[in-house]
Amino acid sequence: PTELPQPVKHGLQSGNLRINFNHGTTCLAFKYSNGIVVSVDSRASAGAYIASGTVKKVIEINPFLLGTMAGGAADCQFWQRVLSQECWLYELRNKERISVAAASKLLANILYNYKGYGLSIGTMIVGWDKKGPGLYYVDDDGTRHSGNLFAVGSGSTYAYGVLDTCYRWDMTDDEALELGRRAIYHATYRDIGSGNSNNLYLVKPDGWKFIGNYDTANLHYQYNPVAAE
Amino acid sequence: HLSMANPMSYNGGCVMAMKGRNCVAIASDLRFGVQMQTISMEFDKVQQMGPRLFVGFPGLATDTQTVFQRMQFRKNLYELRENKSVRPQTLMNMISNLLYERRFGPYFVEPVVAGLDPISLEPYVATMDLIGCPMEPEDFVVSGTCTEQMFGMCETLWQPDMSPDELFECISQAMLNAFDRDAASGWGCHVYLIERDQVTVRALKARMD
Repeated sequence: PTELPQPVKHGLQSGNLRINFNHGTTCLAFKYSNGIVVSVDSRASAGAYIASGTVKKVIEINPFLLGTMAGGAADCQFWQRVLSQECWLYELRNKERISVAAASKLLANILYNYKGYGLSIGTMIVGWDKKGPGLYYVDDDGTRHSGNLFAVGSGSTYAYGVLDTCYRWDMTDDEALELGRRAIYHATYRDIGSGNSNNLYLVKPDGWKFIGNYDTANLHYQYNPVAAE
Repeated sequence: HLSMANPMSYNGGCVMAMKGRNCVAIASDLRFGVQMQTISMEFDKVQQMGPRLFVGFPGLATDTQTVFQRMQFRKNLYELRENKSVRPQTLMNMISNLLYERRFGPYFVEPVVAGLDPISLEPYVATMDLIGCPMEPEDFVVSGTCTEQMFGMCETLWQPDMSPDELFECISQAMLNAFDRDAASGWGCHVYLIERDQVTVRALKARMD
């Protein structure tokens, strides 16, 4: 008889079989002079099996707020939908849009209440409010950090390499988007948990805009053209 | 990070072989990695062991290299003593023997043999488990971290008596679509097509993620 799967850190375990939720992903976001770029991959892996290559890891909380997904997909989707509900209630009660700081704090406090229960969430809450661009990293430990640049997931180290080399505050929109694309591409190249395609978003004072979905196989041959014989 | 965990999936990788009409094909992915990091995209797990005889060793990379080198040694001595090219069936039995010698501390490879008999040119494919249990089916063999995906593709695409071109197309599609659903395999593919008078090796354009 097989054992019922038990929650372990960042996954489920049944006997010798272990499925790791947390690691298979790369998500990044950074602020620059004209906005915030959010760039994520789209692979969902259950162990080594690629369960899907078309996962939407950017969750649209409301037209001004985005959340990224790393860790357990169900956990991220569910709790970020709860966050959408709370943000809408805030707007109804206060007759003004919620700030990124407040939204991220709402999520962080919810997650802290479930600390130790085995939720797996590593997310970035990104948006634009009256204080300007907002970028917060929030995870299932209850951590909440504000910052200018974050990369999350198993491919984050590869993304940081590219981001830390090429990041500048003063960039045009195109330069910033290209940096976001490149960083995810390099993470998908080396990390087995990340891949398939890149979803790019740009956040501006009037809200977020979906820029496009880029297949990372095509990106590879674009950046490394094969010379015709 | 995780300690050794499962030696069969520590490095990742996959190999398959198929029979056609007077030809065989064998294909390998090119990934060499350590757990979640990919280190090389040029690690071909298939090696040539005779003019029309190829062997693939997916599994733990260190054992891939060691088993191949030890088999080279035994095959060379065989050919010196017997004064003839080793037949694929015989080579398969030699590998099986080598693996069973390590029954209680095995090599973590599950080899695939593919070739044409040196005299009759009869196509031959075989595989075995890590302690040498042989399987010599009439159609195709698969081995590696994505065997389930590869079985699904092969069962769907393979037909008996394919010409070399059809066989090449079949094994290429089977490999590409199987390892695109496996995080631990891929990053390129080499396909070897073995016919009576030529061996063709082709590199496939694959997803590099």
